[in-house]
Amino acid sequence: MDLIIGGAYQGKTEFAKEKYGLSDKDICVCQKDGYIDFNKKCISHIERYSFWCVEHDLEPDEYFFEHLADFEHTVIISDDISCGVVPVDKTERAWREANGRLLIKISDKSEHVTRVFCKIPVVLK
Amino acid sequence: MKIFISGGAKNGKSMFAQTCAKRLAKEGHLWYLATMEPHDSEDNARIERHRKERAGWGFNTVEWGRDISAHITETDEHGTYLVDSVTALLTNEMFDGMSGVDARAAKKTADELISFSKKAENVVFVSDNIYCDAAFYDEWTEAFRKGLAEVDSRLAAECDIVAEFCCGQIIYYKGAGIL
Repeated sequence: MDLIIGGAYQGKTEFAKEKYGLSDKDICVCQKDGYIDFNKKCISHIERYSFWCVEHDLEPDEYFFEHLADFEHTVIISDDISCGVVPVDKTERAWREANGRLLIKISDKSEHVTRVFCKIPVVLK
Repeated sequence: MKIFISGGAKNGKSMFAQTCAKRLAKEGHLWYLATMEPHDSEDNARIERHRKERAGWGFNTVEWGRDISAHITETDEHGTYLVDSVTALLTNEMFDGMSGVDARAAKKTADELISFSKKAENVVFVSDNIYCDAAFYDEWTEAFRKGLAEVDSRLAAECDIVAEFCCGQIIYYKGAGIL
């Protein structure tokens, strides 16, 4: 498993496509509906999945890691949502923290972790 | 030399940008390109605070809110420019007249800044890292975030140094040690 992190619109998906030779059909783009296609080589916008979990009183890392065996070779992409003002909305506050906990675990299990800033990749692990 | 600096609010970007510009200018002209078009007393107070912070640094201030590439003939192409900020330039273009979002604004701003950058001897660009917060924004705000990311990325590709500031510390993405 590899993790790609960075702010919105920084070129994370573009980087993943280039580095791993992926096309759109290889990528599961998460919506806020709790659905993840584990057969895809890449799962992007995992933070939206976290949001759905929080809305349904689920801890994303617990739920996600039940499927650990399914995404051992998957590239995971998340927007970094950790640096803004603490959200006024309770769900958004919980979401920010839950996504952080999820990413720490994914990062720990990942072979490579890359942060993308202005389309420039920086290897963190 | 072209330098791109980004980061969150109040993290040390401006002070570093001023230091870089001063060092690059040597004995040449040093220009502070103020880009914000003030709309109220809060904007005016902010501009005054920045003016005081720059006092004594030797900057000549020019106020160009748009079409900066054409304006350069009014000053000089061998000078050193501190462009503060990329964010304000995009704001001027994107929300012109507040009648809606101009979808072409990001491309126009990026083209303008790159053209300016090719004409001037030295430029230090200051932008803002507005991409890492936990929120679902309205369409206008989201268009602005996406637009600024496009401008930032294109400028970063053009610049010799790309750096981010975090609590007064610098993180280099490109060109560490060349200044």
